[in-house]
Amino acid sequence: MTAAPIETARVWLVVALTLLGLFFSFVSMVGVLRLPDVYSRAHTASQADTLGAGFGLAAVALTVGLAGAGFKSVLLLFFIFVTNPTAAHAIARAAFEEGIVPWIEGDDRR
Amino acid sequence: MSLVDAPLAVGYTLGDFLLVAAAGFAVLAVGMLYRAVVGPTMQDRVLAVNVLGTNTVVILAILGAALGEPTFLDIALVYALLNFLMAIAISKFTVERGGVL
Amino acid sequence: MADAGPPSGDDDPDADGSPDAAAASDADAATESASAGAVIVPVEPSSTLRSTIAHVAEAAAADGAAAIHLVEIASWRNGDPESDERAAAAERVLERAAAWANADLDDSEAPGAADVEVVTAVLGADGYLFGADDYVRVLAEYAEANGADRVVLDPEYTPVGNTTLLQPLEFGLSNTSLSVETAPVDRPTRRERFRTEATTGRFVALFGLSLAFYLLLGDPTYWFDVVTGVATAAVVSITLSRVSLDSNPAFPRTPMRIVRGVIYVPVLLFEIVKANLVVARVILDPRLPIDPTLNRMRVIVGSGLPLMTLANSITLTPGTLTVRARDSDLYVHSLVPWAREGLFDGPLERWTRFVYYGRRAARLPSPRERDDVAILQGDDATEELPIAAADGGDPGSGVESESGDGASVEAESTADPTDADEVTDR
Repeated sequence: MTAAPIETARVWLVVALTLLGLFFSFVSMVGVLRLPDVYSRAHTASQADTLGAGFGLAAVALTVGLAGAGFKSVLLLFFIFVTNPTAAHAIARAAFEEGIVPWIEGDDRR
Repeated sequence: MSLVDAPLAVGYTLGDFLLVAAAGFAVLAVGMLYRAVVGPTMQDRVLAVNVLGTNTVVILAILGAALGEPTFLDIALVYALLNFLMAIAISKFTVERGGVL
Repeated sequence: MADAGPPSGDDDPDADGSPDAAAASDADAATESASAGAVIVPVEPSSTLRSTIAHVAEAAAADGAAAIHLVEIASWRNGDPESDERAAAAERVLERAAAWANADLDDSEAPGAADVEVVTAVLGADGYLFGADDYVRVLAEYAEANGADRVVLDPEYTPVGNTTLLQPLEFGLSNTSLSVETAPVDRPTRRERFRTEATTGRFVALFGLSLAFYLLLGDPTYWFDVVTGVATAAVVSITLSRVSLDSNPAFPRTPMRIVRGVIYVPVLLFEIVKANLVVARVILDPRLPIDPTLNRMRVIVGSGLPLMTLANSITLTPGTLTVRARDSDLYVHSLVPWAREGLFDGPLERWTRFVYYGRRAARLPSPRERDDVAILQGDDATEELPIAAADGGDPGSGVESESGDGASVEAESTADPTDADEVTDR
């Protein structure tokens, strides 16, 4: 059985989006594990992870189809794009108010 | 019929691929758990748990798509809300004066 | 920047906040004010404005004050779309207040009543004002320029809309040379803090939004979902319409903002993906070539939603993370130098101004050209880190070395109640 070309394109697009999502989530994890202080970790946590989750959810939306429950996935995507940076900001600000000095080059704490 | 059943390669369907991808996200989440355990500051832990939660949302959504369970998306939505609330609440109340946001 | 003033023209605020009318009256009032002094009354439409003015007029007539200055502190910035209309509306409020004051003075039996002059002015329209310390600064400057020594506050004075500024304002003013009092007038039942008037516009907007969200998750064709949706939306909008929106949706403005926001989203997405790839390379590089610093940038966007949009956009764009927003100062952590340079070029600030104020307002010099930027750490540092643990002292002292804007920094470190709290808490 052969699928219609448009279906095939959609399938491969889903695959590509999922892989992109995995890649950026991977970057986010490496960043959170490698970077020296809470501020730099917050960078990857908010940015790479938002993008990773965005690609993953876009893949889900494409799989499910916008007619079905896919728009919920879009809603989720939008929600994560608004809340993730806000949460990162709240955490970074909490660290700042606690008096944690940002790491700079030459600092020995890692 | 459904896109999930579309053949991908050597007898595997897109659904199978999505399940593998979900497993990949789960592995990444476990990696993040290291930071949540090690810290060293409270903010590091909150941050790690927040990222972990975002990963969980994605895992839930992908599983929902792969298994043909659209209700998973509702759970993912609620989880995302709670995850955000958790990050805000902990950052607010770990600071002595509670002045965040 | 030259600006088309409000239609009435005469009371258009100058850059230093002293209008022509006030300056003219000052010439003859200044000599007397040395002995008698003048009174400043910040004016905003409120339920107790009328009785506040009656009280002020009576008191001024009794102690022979030189002048009553009725001032409105602008919550807009000249040059923005709609600033003309808002300035005109402020003028109308001031005219009415001045008419009341003059009528009260005419009715007064006190011998000094005829000598009291009523002056009106709009202050602080040359920039956005954030919070009580900016208001204190503007009022103090005006008081100095006009020889006033007393401020009388309307007990219902709420200039920004959804939070009452009265307590911090009173506290801040008490740290200046001015004497402050709240007019002892009867007020209606006290409203709770963080609330604004419930208006139909806000109610309808919130009701529509929550109903749309509910039906999006449910099934709009199924009667049960529609009924529960209406009930839920009603509960949400009744309980929350006064806290969740702080200004009324306006017809041409709100849809235009949404349209321009929709234009902004793909631009932002492209920027996010592009910069994310570069940052991914930095992070996956085995040498980890990062050079993080904390920076300060003063931005020109209004407080509230525009500032949130800008701060979130900065955070979403890789390499930069908003750590703290203190009034119009954003403290931004940058991971690598190019991210910092890109931030100082100010494209996101321009885009935010485009979304909220339109295309005309988006043309402005970059923060770097305005000299509104500072690096707080590392070899290129131009300012000290405003963090208690870093310099071991007052959090305000770190920013004092900045050359450009000494007045506001001083006002912040001396008159900001939150700073005072920080000091006492430690």
